[in-house]
Amino acid sequence: MSILSIRDLTVRFAGEQGTSTAVNGISFDLQKGEVLGIVGESGSGKSVTSLSVMRLLSEPGSIDKGSVHFGEDAPVDLLSLPEKEMRHFRGNRISMIFQEPMTSLNPVFTCGFQVDEALMLHKKISRKQAKTETLRLFEQVQLPDPERIYKAYPHELSGGQKQRVMIAMAMSCEPDILIADEPTTALDVTVQQTILKLMLDLQQQNGMSVIFITHDLGVIAEIADRVLVMYKGNIVEQGTVEELFHNPQHPYTKGLLACRPPLDKHLKRLPVIADFMQEQEDGSLHTTPISVQDAITRETISTADREARLQQLQEQDPVLQVKGLKTWFPSGGNWLGGNKHWVKAVDDVSFDVYPGETLGLVGESGCGKTTLGRTILRLQEPTGGQIIYKGRDLLSLSSKEMRDLRKEMQIIFQDPYSSLNPRMTIGAAIREPMTVHGLYSNERERTEKVIDLLEKVNLSADHFGRYPHEFSGGQRQRVVIARALSLNPSFLICDESVSALDVSVQAQVLNLLIDLRESFGFTYIFISHDLSVVKFMSDRMVVMNKGKIEEMGPADAIYHHPQSAYTQRLIDAIPGGGSKAEVERRKPE
Amino acid sequence: MLGVSVLVFFLFQLVRFNPAYALAGEAASTETVANISRELGLDRPVGAQLLTHLNNLSPLSRHALDPAARNYLEPGSVKAITIMSSSSHRWVLKYPYLGRSFQSGRPVASLLNATIPNTLLLALTAMMFATFCGIILGMLAAMQQGSWLDRSITAGSVMGIALPSFFAAILLQLIFAYLLSSFTGLKMTGNLYEADEYTGQIYLSLRNLILPAIALGIRPVAVITQITRSSMLDVLHADYIRTARAKGLGSGAVVYRHALKNALIPVITSVTGWLASLLAGAFFIEVVFNYNGLGLETVNAIKTKDIPVATGAVLYIALVFVLVNMLTDILYGLADPRVKMSSKQTS
Repeated sequence: MSILSIRDLTVRFAGEQGTSTAVNGISFDLQKGEVLGIVGESGSGKSVTSLSVMRLLSEPGSIDKGSVHFGEDAPVDLLSLPEKEMRHFRGNRISMIFQEPMTSLNPVFTCGFQVDEALMLHKKISRKQAKTETLRLFEQVQLPDPERIYKAYPHELSGGQKQRVMIAMAMSCEPDILIADEPTTALDVTVQQTILKLMLDLQQQNGMSVIFITHDLGVIAEIADRVLVMYKGNIVEQGTVEELFHNPQHPYTKGLLACRPPLDKHLKRLPVIADFMQEQEDGSLHTTPISVQDAITRETISTADREARLQQLQEQDPVLQVKGLKTWFPSGGNWLGGNKHWVKAVDDVSFDVYPGETLGLVGESGCGKTTLGRTILRLQEPTGGQIIYKGRDLLSLSSKEMRDLRKEMQIIFQDPYSSLNPRMTIGAAIREPMTVHGLYSNERERTEKVIDLLEKVNLSADHFGRYPHEFSGGQRQRVVIARALSLNPSFLICDESVSALDVSVQAQVLNLLIDLRESFGFTYIFISHDLSVVKFMSDRMVVMNKGKIEEMGPADAIYHHPQSAYTQRLIDAIPGGGSKAEVERRKPE
Repeated sequence: MLGVSVLVFFLFQLVRFNPAYALAGEAASTETVANISRELGLDRPVGAQLLTHLNNLSPLSRHALDPAARNYLEPGSVKAITIMSSSSHRWVLKYPYLGRSFQSGRPVASLLNATIPNTLLLALTAMMFATFCGIILGMLAAMQQGSWLDRSITAGSVMGIALPSFFAAILLQLIFAYLLSSFTGLKMTGNLYEADEYTGQIYLSLRNLILPAIALGIRPVAVITQITRSSMLDVLHADYIRTARAKGLGSGAVVYRHALKNALIPVITSVTGWLASLLAGAFFIEVVFNYNGLGLETVNAIKTKDIPVATGAVLYIALVFVLVNMLTDILYGLADPRVKMSSKQTS
């Protein structure tokens, strides 16, 4: 008997050019005690589905038709309930966790109060009883020092801790159904793993049903029993995790499975969804009958080839040498300006980068990897050490010499949404650095160059006059890459450049970076918290922890034979590409 | 405060008009004028005048013991404690001394102290009226975004911002205190305290506060309405509002508890910002309603070239600005826990 039964649900969004269908007559059931994964890329309608169940859809979206029946014995149609009765279900029988822990908690109330509020509302208990209950919940979601967290405001907590508070809030009234909408996407891989484990434990203790929404099939493998694959508002495939992973039917599912960087093999490029299917002008799909295995095997490079490449690279003189680099930030200190404490973001770090090489830099948030990247470009002044680029010490250069050198060294940032000026067409945005540095003789030549760059990053000349909001996340990141390339750099630092993107889009951007490396011979420093992505991209990799280098060496060697416990932890945190059984096997106990 | 006092002193010097002429009257001889100038110390070089002025203002100052000397501090003019004295001079700790009015000869401080409560009461009433109406109107507009109510409130607030306060004052005076005076019972002009015509007994007349406060409050109402509306709209689309609704809270709890407190943060800044600038607006209103406040006193002082009173009034206003800004920071910290955090980090 299913606890939630959705039939023929259709959701439309009213826009300026008529209405668009976000969810197109989907039907599915959720069993009691089951973890149902819903997977799909941004815009596939997965979040809209969950918001419709909660009746939290905001303008201009509206539920066109369909029914959502809740309950085992006497099902009620949630969609036809009056708003007042619906409130008894929200937070009580069905609760929800959202993607952005940073903005999902109210900044002006303490974390404790926000959980108390739900308890007092649904359980009709006093403030004091609610506090006891909240502290117990905080304990249950493994928050350190529950008394302190109870009194803390959201901005005083880390992202992972906020998400735990959200989970405590969602769990507070022992709901029958928990809907988790990308609860770990904004978090580091290591934090993601602990949150997933926590959710699974809580689910098993309480025997509740969970709908888990994500764009990443790897995460689904860790947590779900059954999976729905959504594409453009339709369910294109559903089945158990084992069925889906071992025998995917729909080309879109195959694409999603293949586009995660694999751990056991080394690929030249990542397979993308376009390898499996292409949408025609008329909206129909053209599919390529190829299995996931074949698509991966096609791109595999042998270990011998990799070793030969690495050896070849290391025979050259290094293009960049970092020696004993330190970047310390003052903290505390007294009112006279004297400093007693330092935050050692980068502490005595040394490494070499060879021409044409990709050096991966991996570690958790706050390990100093971003500061290191910024220090190398002198966007942040170091406290000590040397940075030698092509035989010149960058720290001894004047600001004018440094400006000239910046043409050669570019950085691509994490967030493609905030790193483009919303009031500037993307063509102008790409052209601007060239104008600033006086490249090419006139605007016409620069414009030609911009169009050339747009084509290199798989956009077209038509895109020149458009504004950033007209582009998707992946397209924006390509625009940012094109802008970095406009000055003909030879050295690029990619700081979490793909972390904000869907897995399927991430594969496209990674492929683009690899293609560019092939055709222009770029040298990259590739920074990420996700060891699987770094392993795919890099020749060698540096693992950073608390400002220091934990270990350094060829990417494959580090993955297969990690020397430190910290590296092992990063490896374990990679969401499994296999089934739940494989995940169980990898667990330490 | 030192900067303000020096600046104001030079501003009045720039006028190059000897107040002695005004005091002596049109028919006065040059001799009389010269005598008055000497008496008031206006014949001395500018530098010496400035030093005396600052010496009088400074909490720690040096005064001659000879009553005929220029910088003799009259006993009783201001509370002072002598801390050191020599044969001819003494050092004292005192409240800032603003001098005496050229016109009435009364100490400036007592003149201004008598008027300042009236002005503050007027400004605070106007502000309370503005905050109360502004927040309610702003919320109404935000909750029913796009409705006729929203549109008329927005249109009204645009008009309110465009309306100069003295014009609003005259308009209100004309309608409510002249045309409709028999109905409303309000008078064209009047003070907070009035003397009974027959008994001469002084009584408090809050009625006379109504029209000036509304006239003064019109612009702040309009601005606060718009700020509340836009910040409320921002907050209502925030993720944490969705969380609050997902908890199962009713729309009342969502709006009044979760949204309002966040939406009021920008409103607090504007309210306290306006409180200071209301003092400037009060000048016009007080003149129009002939309301005995700091503004009317200052305008009269300027008309009669009563420099000590005008200087003192400017210093008072500067002090109020500083105090109000401090109050803003405190209120801000109470409303937004993130502010407390950052100040802790920087200290």
